[in-house]
Amino acid sequence: MSKPVIPFHKIKRAAVLGSGVMGSRIACHLAQTGCEVLLLDLPPAEGPRNSIADGHLKSAIKSNPSPLYSKHFAQRITTGNFDDDLAQIANCDWIIEVVVERLDIKQQLFERVEQFRTAGTLITSNTSGIPLVQLSKGRSEDFQAHFCGTHFFNPPRYLPLLEIIPGPKTKPEVLAFVEAYGERILGKQVVVCKDTPAFIANRVGVFAIQALFHTVDEMGLSVEAVDKLTGPAMGRPKSATFRTCDVVGLDTLVHVAKGVATNCPDDERAEVFQTPGFVKHLVDNNLLGSKSGAGFYKKVKNDHGKSEILALDLKTLEYRPKVKAKFATLDMAKAVENLDQRTKLLFNGQDEAGTFYRRIFADVFAYVANRIPEIADEPYRIDDALRAGFGWELGAFESWDAIGFEDGLKAIADRGLAVPAWIETFKDQGEGTFYRNINGVRQCWDPRTCAYEAVGGQEGRLSLAWLPDSATVWSNSGTTIQDLGDGILNVAFHTKMNSIGAEVLEGVNKAIDLAESGDLWRGVVISNEGAQFSAGANVGMIFMMAVEQEYEELNYAIQMFQNTVMRLRYSGIPVIVAPHQLALGGGCEMCLHADKVIAHAETYMGLVEFGVGLIPGGGGTKEFVLRLNDEMHDGDMRINRLRDRFLTIGQAKVATSAHEAFELGYLREGIDEVVVNRRDQLARAKRAAIELSEAGYTQPLRRKDITVAGQEGLGIVYVGAHSMKSGNYISEHDQLISEKLGYVMCGGDLSTRTAVSEQYLLDLEREAFVSLCMQRKSLERMQSLIQKGKILRN
Amino acid sequence: MNAYIIGGYRSPIGKSGKGAFRFVRPDDLGEQVIRKLLSDFPQLDKERIEDVIVGNATPEAEQGLNIGRMVSLMGLDTDKVPGMTVNRYCASGLETIAIASAKIHAGLADCILAGGIETMSPIPFGGWRIVPNARIAKANPDWYWGMGLTAEAVAKDFSISRDEQDAFALESHQRAAAAIDAGRFSPGIAPITVNEVYLDENEKRQESTHVVDTDEGVRRDSTLEGLARLKPVFAQSGSVTAGNSSQTSDGAAFVLVVSERMLKELNVEPIARLASYHVSGLEPRIMGVGPIHAVPKALEKAGIKTQNLGAIELNEAFASQSVAVVKELGLDPALVNPNGGAIALGHPLGCTGAKLTVQMMHELKSRQANFGMVTMCVGTGQGAAGVFEFLNA
Repeated sequence: MSKPVIPFHKIKRAAVLGSGVMGSRIACHLAQTGCEVLLLDLPPAEGPRNSIADGHLKSAIKSNPSPLYSKHFAQRITTGNFDDDLAQIANCDWIIEVVVERLDIKQQLFERVEQFRTAGTLITSNTSGIPLVQLSKGRSEDFQAHFCGTHFFNPPRYLPLLEIIPGPKTKPEVLAFVEAYGERILGKQVVVCKDTPAFIANRVGVFAIQALFHTVDEMGLSVEAVDKLTGPAMGRPKSATFRTCDVVGLDTLVHVAKGVATNCPDDERAEVFQTPGFVKHLVDNNLLGSKSGAGFYKKVKNDHGKSEILALDLKTLEYRPKVKAKFATLDMAKAVENLDQRTKLLFNGQDEAGTFYRRIFADVFAYVANRIPEIADEPYRIDDALRAGFGWELGAFESWDAIGFEDGLKAIADRGLAVPAWIETFKDQGEGTFYRNINGVRQCWDPRTCAYEAVGGQEGRLSLAWLPDSATVWSNSGTTIQDLGDGILNVAFHTKMNSIGAEVLEGVNKAIDLAESGDLWRGVVISNEGAQFSAGANVGMIFMMAVEQEYEELNYAIQMFQNTVMRLRYSGIPVIVAPHQLALGGGCEMCLHADKVIAHAETYMGLVEFGVGLIPGGGGTKEFVLRLNDEMHDGDMRINRLRDRFLTIGQAKVATSAHEAFELGYLREGIDEVVVNRRDQLARAKRAAIELSEAGYTQPLRRKDITVAGQEGLGIVYVGAHSMKSGNYISEHDQLISEKLGYVMCGGDLSTRTAVSEQYLLDLEREAFVSLCMQRKSLERMQSLIQKGKILRN
Repeated sequence: MNAYIIGGYRSPIGKSGKGAFRFVRPDDLGEQVIRKLLSDFPQLDKERIEDVIVGNATPEAEQGLNIGRMVSLMGLDTDKVPGMTVNRYCASGLETIAIASAKIHAGLADCILAGGIETMSPIPFGGWRIVPNARIAKANPDWYWGMGLTAEAVAKDFSISRDEQDAFALESHQRAAAAIDAGRFSPGIAPITVNEVYLDENEKRQESTHVVDTDEGVRRDSTLEGLARLKPVFAQSGSVTAGNSSQTSDGAAFVLVVSERMLKELNVEPIARLASYHVSGLEPRIMGVGPIHAVPKALEKAGIKTQNLGAIELNEAFASQSVAVVKELGLDPALVNPNGGAIALGHPLGCTGAKLTVQMMHELKSRQANFGMVTMCVGTGQGAAGVFEFLNA
């Protein structure tokens, strides 16, 4: 990578031209990653001049899931219109075009942009398929030198893929800057593409969907069956195939497929991009998916007024009630957590499902093999695009590695497909897998050099998956402790949903023991690479002890949990917690007790114990009282802040981003940090541990100066809980839990404000927790979560 | 010795939070009403006023520091007249008139300014810091209930349907709009000069002054369908909505109460006198029906019957309690709030009693009736009623 010529901080202001679904959401993402944004669109025929951009931005901000980490970032966006405000782009450092996908309209806009754009300013297009060569035509040398494609995927906040496409004259250093900016600042998985139709992700992703359509046709499978087969079972999103099509919109899908069919006449599978009969039927009848109310699925109200989802029968083309699909292979796969192993198992299935998997994998394997070097020189770029753009957990070549090269090859031959020459070379000279890890570096076969080369984007980064086996220091059934180098240990959970039970606590304690006792290590990071950081304490274990009425053991287990989280803060070495995705209940309490949290922006933290009829018992309630104490200043009204903290737990509020976690008081301003790119997180966490250690970390003093309100606060707790119950907002049991929570948060019924220790509050919290475990209704709530995965409000 | 009301004014009522008086201090509002009232009596030496009694339901923050004494200093241009603040929640503004009348009746004074002030804009409902007694909160939490829940309890106990409540609310708006259009409030309103200092779009300091002389709360486009669409705000699947509850407001109102001796000295005719006043206690849970207990006692003390009343101002804290009170007491709906009530015009808690007294006096005059009544429910389980005899017929 050549050195960027434009330092990151030079992008202070960006102009987003076009405020539609993508434009407004790209504007939001740029704003929340540090830019001031000017969002422009056409002026309307009548009415306020900026009403189009204003309206689009407003509806984007309101949409769910939110394009913003926190609503306040919207203040960084100003709106305008092309006729009155285009001159302002002269003061912008990056201009992104996101108008409708029509060459003539884009060209006209670029012509106007040239009138105002300051020479040397980055200018990019969010085109999803128009060749950069055509977009560059007629533009000045300076424009072309600073021009490239930046193709975001919808929704830009959540889908990490950013395809970057060089134009014919793009300066290498400009491309390098955009790549680095996309990765470091925007938090994207950048994939540098070639200027080929539909670039990488859509070319391969849409092929995969189209090919699957044809297989479905061949085999006569149902919509529901296919969605069951192609969802989480094979490491793909829950919406699987047909539901995803409904969400994206069938017209969009057909548009991209037709584009490839037209622009790639030499594609050896060109016929696959033809629209299958059932899709044509839907499009012709304007059944385009969610936006038109029906697609492959249709939501209707049944006779009882309840909504029901119908599925399209692909043979009769009529909607009918959903039929549950069942496959022996899927049942067998359920027990296999590891996706590589599961993929192999699915592929080798002996039933219809196995046949289906072999066919769809064969199609994709052959197709991606034949796309090199047409759309990418290295296989990993295609995998990166599929993972980041379509939410596949395994890319195509990774799946092939999981299944086994020879088996994959055989399936391709069985399907009557051919592989290119480089695959034959790889067969002779490679090690049987496209990827390998050598000394903590991930490598991928490079057909150009016929050798394994480092996968791009690893510089300055760490991944637990890349570490050699020798890095593992200790492990048990639920955790693994690995040496990250430079004296820092990482302890990773790998239980179901990364829930926290005895084995996880043992692992955390072990890591701290190791770091504290010897001279090999000086800090601990708690992070993992599972789908969730942690969904919370092991409710099943608590439920069992409560049902068996083993209250002493339960008390001991909770004490063990409390002692462990307290050790995170009160030990001789710094402990960094680096959460991502869900960090709930006990997982949140781990974060609350870290010396420092390095959170991924997409972290959803919350103390959600109310949902299972409990209060936070692993130091969470205590910590909220402590933080409440610390945020008070002389003369502040304690009771109002107490109410806010109380409601955060009482309403089980889950932050919708790490930024919101600061607003809810789960993260601490000035101490905890947010990392936008998940792949930067571990290295940053390790660095934070080193920094704290090098700054002369010493064990903090246990707090004994936490002021609690006592009876001063208790009155409003009782009145509030009773009022909520009287207004039917909460159940009688909620009222009881609320009163217990309030009692702990007030430090009990002390006559006056009193300074107490952390241990005093931990004891109160534990007592309340165990007493709630004796309540039948709390047990019913736990049971509901364990057995049905549902929160019961009883 | 009898006590006589010889004059009274109220400010227009502003919507709290976003209305005309959202940044007008309560003491400033009170001062302007007092100055307007006294301008009708140039012959009165202000130092002859013996007390300023101000009703206020949330005497803290802007309304703290004994606002009664403060408006005396601010509005009378003398430091010789004392002042005090009285809190009987929503009856405060009527309570002060009763206290003034009683003091004069007992021969303790000859001339008292009595009324109420409440600006709900700057101060949250219930005050900034609500600290119930923990022991009582556990044993009798409904003593501390928010008013909305009590309105729900009244609707339930007295079987007042959502439709009845909404219909009552709509009537309130329609009557209020008609009253405003006919100028029926104008003679009793003290126009308020609002001075605003603000920043323009370039953050330049600007100053502007304007006069407010009309109530803000009326929703002329209110319809039954619109009211029916509103969601209950105090209880899930309840019947009390923002549309059939009173509005939170900013306002001030005062009357001048004098002795017979003072009448002669000033050479003025009395308008009315407080014939009786009664406050009852009841279950805090259904405080809304307080008037059911207070009204019969007040009528009995005044020696009259319901039929003798020419106009009734029943504070519309909520439609549910208003309908329950009208039904239970068998009041003539046409005589109750003929010019609309708090659902349309607003309810500045501690000011309301005095504001309704001013309105009632003008209504008695236009109807040439002998007796009128002001009554309201009061938080924590109370009801108040005052019977006035009109003397200017």
